[in-house]
Amino acid sequence: MLQIFKKTNINFMKYKYIAFGLSGVIIVAGIINIAFGKGLKPGIDFSGGTLIRIMLKSPVDVGEVRQALSEQDLGGSVIQEVGKEKREYIIRTTQAAKGDRRAGEEEIEAHEIMGTKVIEALKSAEDTVALGQGKIDLNNAGRKEIAFVLEPAFPDTAEELASQIISLRVERGVIESFSVLKEPGLADEVISRLEEKTFLGSLTVLSKETVGPQVGKDLRRKATQATIWALLGMLVYIALRFKLSYGVSSILTLTHDVLVTLSIFSFANREINLPVIAAVLTIVGYSLNDTIVIFDRVRDNLKLMRKHSFEEILNVSVNQTLSRSIITSGTVFLTVIALYFFGGEVINDFAFTMLIGVISGSYSTIYQSCPIVYFWQKIFKTKKGLRR
Amino acid sequence: MKKGLRWKVILVVGATALAIYLAYPPAQKINLGLDLQGGIHLVLQVVTEDAITIETDQEITRLHDQLKKKDVTYKTIVKGKLGQLSIQGILSDQEGKLRDLLDESFKDWDYTLISDAATLTIKPGVQQYLKEQSVTQALETIRNRVDQFGVAEPTIQRQGLAGDRIIIELPGVDDPERVKNLIKTTAILEWKLVKAGPAPDEQTLLAPYGGTLSGDAEVVRGDPKRTEGGYYLLDRVAVVTGKDLRNVRRSVDEWNSPAVSFSLYPEGGRRFEKLTAENIGNSIAIMLDKRVISAPRVEDRIPAASGGIIRGRFTAEEAEDLVVVLRAGALPASIKYLEERTIGPSLGADSIRKGLVSCIVALLLVMGFMVFYYRLSGVNAVVALVLNIVLLAGALGYFKATLTLPGIAGVILTIGMAVDANVLIFERIREELLAGKSILNSIATGFSRAFSAILDSNLTTIISAIFLFQFGTGPVKGYAVTLIIGIAASMFTAVFVSRLIFDLTVTKKKKREKMSI
Repeated sequence: MLQIFKKTNINFMKYKYIAFGLSGVIIVAGIINIAFGKGLKPGIDFSGGTLIRIMLKSPVDVGEVRQALSEQDLGGSVIQEVGKEKREYIIRTTQAAKGDRRAGEEEIEAHEIMGTKVIEALKSAEDTVALGQGKIDLNNAGRKEIAFVLEPAFPDTAEELASQIISLRVERGVIESFSVLKEPGLADEVISRLEEKTFLGSLTVLSKETVGPQVGKDLRRKATQATIWALLGMLVYIALRFKLSYGVSSILTLTHDVLVTLSIFSFANREINLPVIAAVLTIVGYSLNDTIVIFDRVRDNLKLMRKHSFEEILNVSVNQTLSRSIITSGTVFLTVIALYFFGGEVINDFAFTMLIGVISGSYSTIYQSCPIVYFWQKIFKTKKGLRR
Repeated sequence: MKKGLRWKVILVVGATALAIYLAYPPAQKINLGLDLQGGIHLVLQVVTEDAITIETDQEITRLHDQLKKKDVTYKTIVKGKLGQLSIQGILSDQEGKLRDLLDESFKDWDYTLISDAATLTIKPGVQQYLKEQSVTQALETIRNRVDQFGVAEPTIQRQGLAGDRIIIELPGVDDPERVKNLIKTTAILEWKLVKAGPAPDEQTLLAPYGGTLSGDAEVVRGDPKRTEGGYYLLDRVAVVTGKDLRNVRRSVDEWNSPAVSFSLYPEGGRRFEKLTAENIGNSIAIMLDKRVISAPRVEDRIPAASGGIIRGRFTAEEAEDLVVVLRAGALPASIKYLEERTIGPSLGADSIRKGLVSCIVALLLVMGFMVFYYRLSGVNAVVALVLNIVLLAGALGYFKATLTLPGIAGVILTIGMAVDANVLIFERIREELLAGKSILNSIATGFSRAFSAILDSNLTTIISAIFLFQFGTGPVKGYAVTLIIGIAASMFTAVFVSRLIFDLTVTKKKKREKMSI
């Protein structure tokens, strides 16, 4: 039998004050940072704005990107490099175009104009020249448009050729040079026709998201409501299954996890977006999972260890479930690690939040939930049983 | 094999077969969200006030007519707040006549008479009806346009049952900007007689008229993309509008540039013929959404039946799109975008790749750990885990749920959480074994005593996922769904299937041997 922990007998309850202190420091530091420091940065889901993800034909330094944007009065944008090839960038702007900004409701249009401006700012001069000559941009044109260009020379196969070009583009993100087109087996005549009538634009837009202030406000409200309701739901569930003291302790533990996550988030310089909220709510459900397993064991032990003090029973229960707590947190941790390193940029904030949550969740289960129940019992002098 | 066991085996094999049938081939059976296959997600709002404004404008014209008919003397009619207008300068002895007229022909309006002015307000019920109607019509028009443009499997629906918001989801569109413009164009097409212009600015345009605009004329800008720009002075009244169009087609003009040809219904055609006959040598402006797109000179009378063409420096695509919007009809009110998310297909494909890679890495890590730590029993857990994923895929196929990138994250988390139940059970079994119980006895106790903890802990995760589903939009909803299904399936696989595997493999003969856990 392989065991991480032989029969342990650690006096966890002894460390309760240290644990309270540590959590307190993290949470208070977070609150101070959120209130007076850098604060929590809402992503465009909540603040409104535009997020553009582009892929460039050839590598460009982040400095040059910033330069190009500030020349267009877009210096306030946040630029983030993706990958190491200097070809993919995420650009966020919460600025709205000046002058175009009328009443608040029109802001999305202004945001959209900004988005277009960002794209225009990053296009090279060659693109403008080629467009002026009436050529179409093979890196951004739609299927029909490409087919239309090919039609006069290849009336029968134009549609099919266009589909081939599009799927190559989907696979590569951007077509770097005309010679790449040989790969899927396009004939030389087709390529020379394309060279004549089209050009390869310097960038392609991978995604573009614009959220208006109205929607941002709605989502903020919904996210807060969902979190609070989920916490209340947990409270009711635990109070029904166990006793009120355990319900309160669970909720305090969960709130602890949410606060710790937010605190670390405020220092990590990441933005809060919808998937992050999803991760926080998952942590609310998941962290409770651990807590319940311990309480379940306490419930059993209260029957078995009638002569022992409550503190002892809590300690024994934590020790008995320790290896299980560590292992399941471990397996979830392994999967979240996989997501964090291999899941890509889009899901990275979610994975990061889950990482903190899983660690905080398993720590708080051991060091927070039981001490809180203990203090509740001490203060309110309730009977030792688990059922009312 | 015991009889009870046989039925359990049949149940598990049956469920697995059903799940495979429901999910295979995944490319066809499992819906991918917009974030994975690329596409456009739009939330737009119908400016329902427009419907009231249009109604008010129409009623003002009718009111002028009626007042004239009934010989009511008045000075003027002015528009007030939204849905309000007032008739001013009424002679006091004509009040009765006015009341009769309003009671009889303007039943949709509430009115108050104070000294020489009457204020009319559209009744709240009617306002509600007009607004409601404008959303329904907008929905219909947008659906027509999208259908004509040819998007596969679009979703176009109202947000809520009575709201003024419309959600549009168009998967797999490779040219998002174009579709967006197509939806947004109000597409009000009008032919108006040009009095003067184009001029570089309003002052120059109005100079010959003493700088003031007469009531029957209006100043309209030329669309900078379609014309030389500048300002036109036009007749306020449109002679022919988009409603008169019988058919439109993409075609080319005499210089072979893309254009749109149209034909008119007989009545509109007659008006068009009269207009052209009376204005040979003058220009007629073609206006799309209050911008002049071209102002051709009339060379000759155009017979009612022959129709004509619309030029506007179109590209082939633009001409095609104009045909689409004109065929589908104009929007009853303007719309504005509240939210738009465009995901290119290559980002979607990239997300699928990365999602799959992290899924496989997570699976291998968890499986490796379980087998390493629990040996043969770990293999049992691995079988349960694989089955869990198969069932999850089957359920996604059956419910026609949409798999999104956060949804894939949900699957990955499920992998980690699903073995939780196995771990709980195995740890219990180990405890019982250490306490000196027999293998069969330990297994039985392990399962029964771990069950309440498994149930409680999984239920809480499901509860929070349900709240998430309530609040979430597209991708996040997909996450909540996979999490809920995955956890529910894990209860079945970890408790029922794992137990079954133990029952089948750990027989009485082996009971003296050591258990591999």
